[in-house]
Amino acid sequence: MTLRRALLSAVFAATLVPAAMAAPKTDLIVGMAAQDVGKLDPHLAVSTIDRTVVAWLFNGLVRFKPGSMSPADIEPDLADSWEASADKKVWTFKLRHGVRFHGAYGELTAEDVVYSLGKAADPKRSASSGDFASFEKVEAVDPYTVRITLKQTVPSLLGIITNYGGGFIVSKKAVETLGDKFAAQPIGTGPFAFAANTPNQALELVAHKAYFRGVPKIEKISYRFLPSNASRDLAFQNGELDLEFGNQDQTWVDRMKKLPGAVVDVFEPGEEAILHLNQAQKPLDDVRVRQAIAYAINRPEILKFQGADVSRLPGSVIPIGNLGYTADNGLPQYDLAKAKALLAEAGFKDGLTLKVVHTQLPNMLAQMQVVQAELKRAGINLDLQVVEHATFHQMIRQDLSAIVFYSAARFPVADVYLSQFYHSRSTVKTPTAVTNFSHCTAADAEIDAARTEPDAAKQIGLWEAAQRKIVAQVCAVPLIETLQAWVHKDSLEYGYALKGSLSLGPLITEATHFK
Amino acid sequence: MAPRPEGQSSVIVYVFRRLLAAVPTLWAVLTLVFVLVRIVPGDPAIAILGDRATPAAVAALQAKLGLDRPIWEQYVSFLAQSAQGDFGTSMVTNRPILADVGAVIPHTIDLTIAAMLIGVIVGVPAGVLAALHRNRWIDVVARLVSLIGLSFPVFVSGIFLLLAFALHWRIFPVIGNANLADPVDRLVKLVLPAATLGLVMAAYITRVTRSAMLGVLGEDYIRTARAKGVPWRRVVWRHGLRNAGMPVVTVVGLYVGILIGNSVLTEIVFNRPGLGKIIVGALNQRDYTMLQGLMVIYCFLIVVVNLLTDLTYGFIDPRVKQA
Repeated sequence: MTLRRALLSAVFAATLVPAAMAAPKTDLIVGMAAQDVGKLDPHLAVSTIDRTVVAWLFNGLVRFKPGSMSPADIEPDLADSWEASADKKVWTFKLRHGVRFHGAYGELTAEDVVYSLGKAADPKRSASSGDFASFEKVEAVDPYTVRITLKQTVPSLLGIITNYGGGFIVSKKAVETLGDKFAAQPIGTGPFAFAANTPNQALELVAHKAYFRGVPKIEKISYRFLPSNASRDLAFQNGELDLEFGNQDQTWVDRMKKLPGAVVDVFEPGEEAILHLNQAQKPLDDVRVRQAIAYAINRPEILKFQGADVSRLPGSVIPIGNLGYTADNGLPQYDLAKAKALLAEAGFKDGLTLKVVHTQLPNMLAQMQVVQAELKRAGINLDLQVVEHATFHQMIRQDLSAIVFYSAARFPVADVYLSQFYHSRSTVKTPTAVTNFSHCTAADAEIDAARTEPDAAKQIGLWEAAQRKIVAQVCAVPLIETLQAWVHKDSLEYGYALKGSLSLGPLITEATHFK
Repeated sequence: MAPRPEGQSSVIVYVFRRLLAAVPTLWAVLTLVFVLVRIVPGDPAIAILGDRATPAAVAALQAKLGLDRPIWEQYVSFLAQSAQGDFGTSMVTNRPILADVGAVIPHTIDLTIAAMLIGVIVGVPAGVLAALHRNRWIDVVARLVSLIGLSFPVFVSGIFLLLAFALHWRIFPVIGNANLADPVDRLVKLVLPAATLGLVMAAYITRVTRSAMLGVLGEDYIRTARAKGVPWRRVVWRHGLRNAGMPVVTVVGLYVGILIGNSVLTEIVFNRPGLGKIIVGALNQRDYTMLQGLMVIYCFLIVVVNLLTDLTYGFIDPRVKQA
């Protein structure tokens, strides 16, 4: 009997042990190019480091379908349905029942939504307050119904309240209880909850077992801060990381693709690098000089430098894929002879020199050096003053550079990019400044009219007209669009096809798992 | 109660006087740090809020951070808080500065001590041997190796070590953020970074020891000791090295001070947390409060290291103690 029991135990163990050994991993280790996280309050999370991770912790009323960042793919998130008034000024959202916040912060109600959107609109507590300028009021109709009333229609209300920037919903009770500590110990409704942060080392997250879409298959996430690109790559190669933030250059993509079991992800948004030509400074007030710069830029050459896998040619002064984008805008193409002729016509036969403030960030500096070499062929010398990155941001906002090289992606509706970069209201050194470095005034009327235009086709027509005018005034010269690059082990399945992510990193959802 | 021995009480008085003398130094550093972090262009509010923030949001954050207050007011409150050992919270993360520093300081101390030990254990004997065999092959090899050690930046030698010992032989991990509660893990993850930094230090100490020993070995008292028939080994280690020890201790003391903050490259390459890495992060983010707190702590550590170096002089050379 004892022998039989022993034999049975052995057989049982023999069948169980391989099964246990074959069980897929449930802890995800992510390598991020960071010294530490900054603010995990989603309304203040602005760096790629913070944005990537808050998207795993929080939800919006609506969300982009995982793997997409197309406005056409917006779907229900915390709200399961909504309706708008005929004039699109009053929107009513019905919330899901039974959505739980992390920890002991209870169920989500309309009060949390009202509080969150109020906080997101408050410049003292949000970096996205500008997006809420058209909001008149947000009210809780009942515990599961929220009504948003707008002062005027906006191009995409759903875009403002999606799982991005100010659209994330926080726990009112948690923010009020934790105060300033909330940014370090965030409480959301997302598939993962904050567990611990070891400064300078790693942020630890755990699965939110009460997540409304189901228990996440990944149990733990360790978000490691590994600022050195070389050693982060070595750690991935050594099997110490499952997922890694990559470099947006071809050499990196080629090297990682050769690693066994590695899958390189290149996805939207494309960050468009643009030269903003400062018309408030001489001689850039002369349109012929600006045109000369536009004709001297050889975009295919820049693309060759950056690499075809991670970048693409831009077609307009706003990124490809933005709602309202058009390539039919008369963008000048490379023509060195024409550039020289225009310069001569403007009185600069022997060339000219422009003082340009630029960042020392390696990738941006390398791209600007290519631009510098291209412009030199036309006789335009860029006197680059290379400064530390934070200094660069301050100096360009003080209007100190003749040309500003700026690379950015925004919410993919033309209004956002056009308003922030080309509307006179956004001109730097004004009280309403955002990032209009060129002092562009070409398309104010079209941008304003499009914002309140109820007819979708007419609205797109206005945005296209705005792009043509901005191109004609040569406020800006597009250079290249660079996509996001990450790499993951082939055993990791995201649970969706990754084509784009507004958080700039892959979404880790309840469906993400190891094979 | 038994009276305290005279030597012991004089050391206590000496330490106390030195610590008191450090107060004006700390004040000067505090003032310098306060001014320097504000001279550097770059607005912390823009760094925190990002490029989509409106001027209203930037102004609101500046007010919240107290950056809209008059400079003198900020200075006085900074001095008052520092005097109470309250360094406040980070402008960026809102976490208490002392908690952040406390979390990384054991890693910095581990690395500094380990690198110093490697430097001394390898560097001092190598320097002595090189001096004893001046211009012979041992000396040539020691000089050559130390030159290579000094010429290789740590971010190059570190990557080489990672390629060899982490990727090829898979003995050590690439990610070196050790679990402080696990002594084995702590030691394993210390080996490569300590070797990288320690070998640079060893190269430096080898050269200083060699040159100090060469100076001492030509002295009359060495010749006298040898003439009296003192064994050569005793002459070298007791009379030679002890007298050559002062410049070596000076270099070790200086280097340890530099290591505390300057090991940032090693920390980055080996993915270790540390004081140097936090300083660079705070500078990039224009985290004024964090930078100020870190500088004060760093300065305090330098004062302590200098004090220990001075006390070591007394042990090596009794004449210093008497003076």
